[in-house]
Amino acid sequence: MTNTQIPAVRPKQPAAQPAPAPGPSTRDRGTRLLATLFLAPTIVGIVVFTVVPIVGSVVLSLFHWNVIDDPRFAGAANYREVFTDSTVLVSFGNTLVFMVFAVALQLLIALVLALAVNGRMPVWLRSVFRSAFFFPLVLSAASISVVMKYLFNQDFGVVNWLLGLVGVAPVPWLTSENAAMATVILVYVWQQFGFSFLLFVGGLNNIPKEVHEAASLDGATGLRKHLSITLPLLSPTLLVASVVGIINALQVFEQPYVLTNGGPGDATRTVVMVIYESAFEQLRFGEASAVGVLLFVLIMAVTALQFRLSRRFVHYQ
Amino acid sequence: MTDAHLTRRTLLRYGAYGAGAAALAGTAASWDRLTGADIPGRDDGSLVVATLGPAYGPEAIRTLTEGFKQVHPDIKLRINAVQAVDWSDFFAKILTQIAAGTAPDLVYVATEGVQLFAQRLGVPLDDWVKRDAEELREYFADVHPSLVESMMYEGSLYQLPVEFNAADMYLNNQVLKRAGADFPAADWTRDDFTGLLRDMKKSSGSQFTPYFWTNRLWGGVVPWLFANDTNLLAESKAPGGAWLWDSFYPAAQRQGRGGGFRWTTPQATDARVEEAYDYLASLVQEGLCSRPEGGNGQNLIGVFSTGRVGVTPAGGFWAGGLHLAGMKADSFDVQYFPRWRTQRMQYGAAGYALLRTSKRQEEAWEFIKYAARRDTLMRLFETNQTTPARRSMLTAERYRETGPNHWQVFYDTLDKFPDTGPIPAPPQVAEVEQVLLKHTGTALASRRSVAPALRRMQSDLEKAMERDV
Repeated sequence: MTNTQIPAVRPKQPAAQPAPAPGPSTRDRGTRLLATLFLAPTIVGIVVFTVVPIVGSVVLSLFHWNVIDDPRFAGAANYREVFTDSTVLVSFGNTLVFMVFAVALQLLIALVLALAVNGRMPVWLRSVFRSAFFFPLVLSAASISVVMKYLFNQDFGVVNWLLGLVGVAPVPWLTSENAAMATVILVYVWQQFGFSFLLFVGGLNNIPKEVHEAASLDGATGLRKHLSITLPLLSPTLLVASVVGIINALQVFEQPYVLTNGGPGDATRTVVMVIYESAFEQLRFGEASAVGVLLFVLIMAVTALQFRLSRRFVHYQ
Repeated sequence: MTDAHLTRRTLLRYGAYGAGAAALAGTAASWDRLTGADIPGRDDGSLVVATLGPAYGPEAIRTLTEGFKQVHPDIKLRINAVQAVDWSDFFAKILTQIAAGTAPDLVYVATEGVQLFAQRLGVPLDDWVKRDAEELREYFADVHPSLVESMMYEGSLYQLPVEFNAADMYLNNQVLKRAGADFPAADWTRDDFTGLLRDMKKSSGSQFTPYFWTNRLWGGVVPWLFANDTNLLAESKAPGGAWLWDSFYPAAQRQGRGGGFRWTTPQATDARVEEAYDYLASLVQEGLCSRPEGGNGQNLIGVFSTGRVGVTPAGGFWAGGLHLAGMKADSFDVQYFPRWRTQRMQYGAAGYALLRTSKRQEEAWEFIKYAARRDTLMRLFETNQTTPARRSMLTAERYRETGPNHWQVFYDTLDKFPDTGPIPAPPQVAEVEQVLLKHTGTALASRRSVAPALRRMQSDLEKAMERDV
């Protein structure tokens, strides 16, 4: 090919136009359609069972409604009522206290046990522990609470009977304002820590052995390895476990409802209990929805805060 | 970067989407609200009766359904046994059914819910009762007027009571024997009661609770308030009701009757209320009774039957329960609630309420009459799981197998103490009950905490009573 084939003077070209964006090919359109079809049931499920009820609750929170009569528009009256109702305010305080202690304890126990099970141990024994720790999670919280209520009964419970054998006076597990919340947290943590435990076991298995081996060669001790290697590399799992744990803890209902019915006084009354009582016992659906909306906002805020803080503390490999 | 200009084709497509969405929204908006009743097959033309599930097992349902069919073969009946842990849970589920558009025609309602249902949902039975007066004469002659009065609201009758339970005292004979105590006299006093508890405590081990009670509206603190001649809410009677009393009850029995109870001003800070709480707090402090939160009816039969509890308040329903738990007829007994300032006692009754939304009101009334018939109740209450509202059903024969020996106490609580009153249950009963339970727990923590807790209870009760249901 020679240059002579190129004209010396190029004909005047029109101003350059941006090339039209290439449309999706037939194959791409097929893939998109297929993806949409696969996602559709989930999207429909989320819309019907999550988005619609949330919107419905927000709307209902602006009305007075007792199921029997037609709803009456209330504006912000239900929210005003919520902020002046001492029971509701106490329940928010209780829920936050419950969340802090329950989640911290749950994560701590799960982490310690996961590290222990992940150590040198016969495979069959490891399986036994994994199953045992996870087992309470598959049981119904209400059934567990009924059983625990018997066990912790001050007058006839097995726990006090056992303590009595070693000379300890009966403990008012569920009847003292100080002890009741601690007992509810104990029962909750016993049931829930299995989930975090499984996450941690999975997370620990994902940490490459070479990193630990290299640290050993550098002379790191067991504790140093856990603090400098295990925990940082486990931080994404810790984040997931704490997010899920906090969301669950903020919605706690069955354990305090069955164990103490919110008592003594309001000592163990939680936000979801207040929602249930306002709506289904006192027929104040508008006020119950207002409390529900506030709980939703609280959960969103706490979760957002966690993700924000996680930028500092979570390390990805 | 994308092209900001839409092509004609795209514009047409989006336009079509928008028109479609608007059409759908318009259709949805103009549609009548869908309810559970729109589900095909849901409304099969039956008369639907909602009952408290645990109290109405399959046998009871069969008895009601088959018996009713023999009397009224033309009316199709469906018993909807709603599973619920207590009356407030049951009412919540019924209200949910009403909200869902699947309201039953009739609902089994106890004293706790009578005024709520009457005020908001119920149909007065007055016209039917007047119309079928001759047929009902035998029923009213057999049923104590106190029970009937507890089913009235503002002068009208809303239910025919079929069962009731007064808060009497059950005593474990084995524990009495161990304490070397005699069965108490019918006119025993609060001090006799305290003395008996102390004797029981002395003769038993550390795992023994002389007096076990459950913190609730029936049988909790309230019977002590009745005995101390006071109540949680100021009590009065609505005018009216003469149409019923004059037609069915002799002068002696209708004296002082009105158009149903009114529960109005809270009086938790009343000196006598405080006195009753102080008494219970002293029993707790002395280790003579269970704490309010510890009292739980679920394991009560177990601890009572094994001699770990000496005394507990319960109604006729417990005779059947203890028998089923294996207690022999002579191993327990029952006596009236002890006297304090008065020996006025407390009871709760139940019957069928007809809902305004029912389209089968005549048929429903026929069921109400059928359910209150003696032969129906004889078949329904075979196992002494309750106290029948009909006096004639309480016989030695009925209690021979289950006990107790003093079974006459059950109906005599009404007959010998005609001022015995129903549970204080205004339309705001759910919130009143919650306030009572909550503050009772706090009040009985110590004797010092009684007064402050009652002040808080008063404030919460005032708020609850001001609220419209």
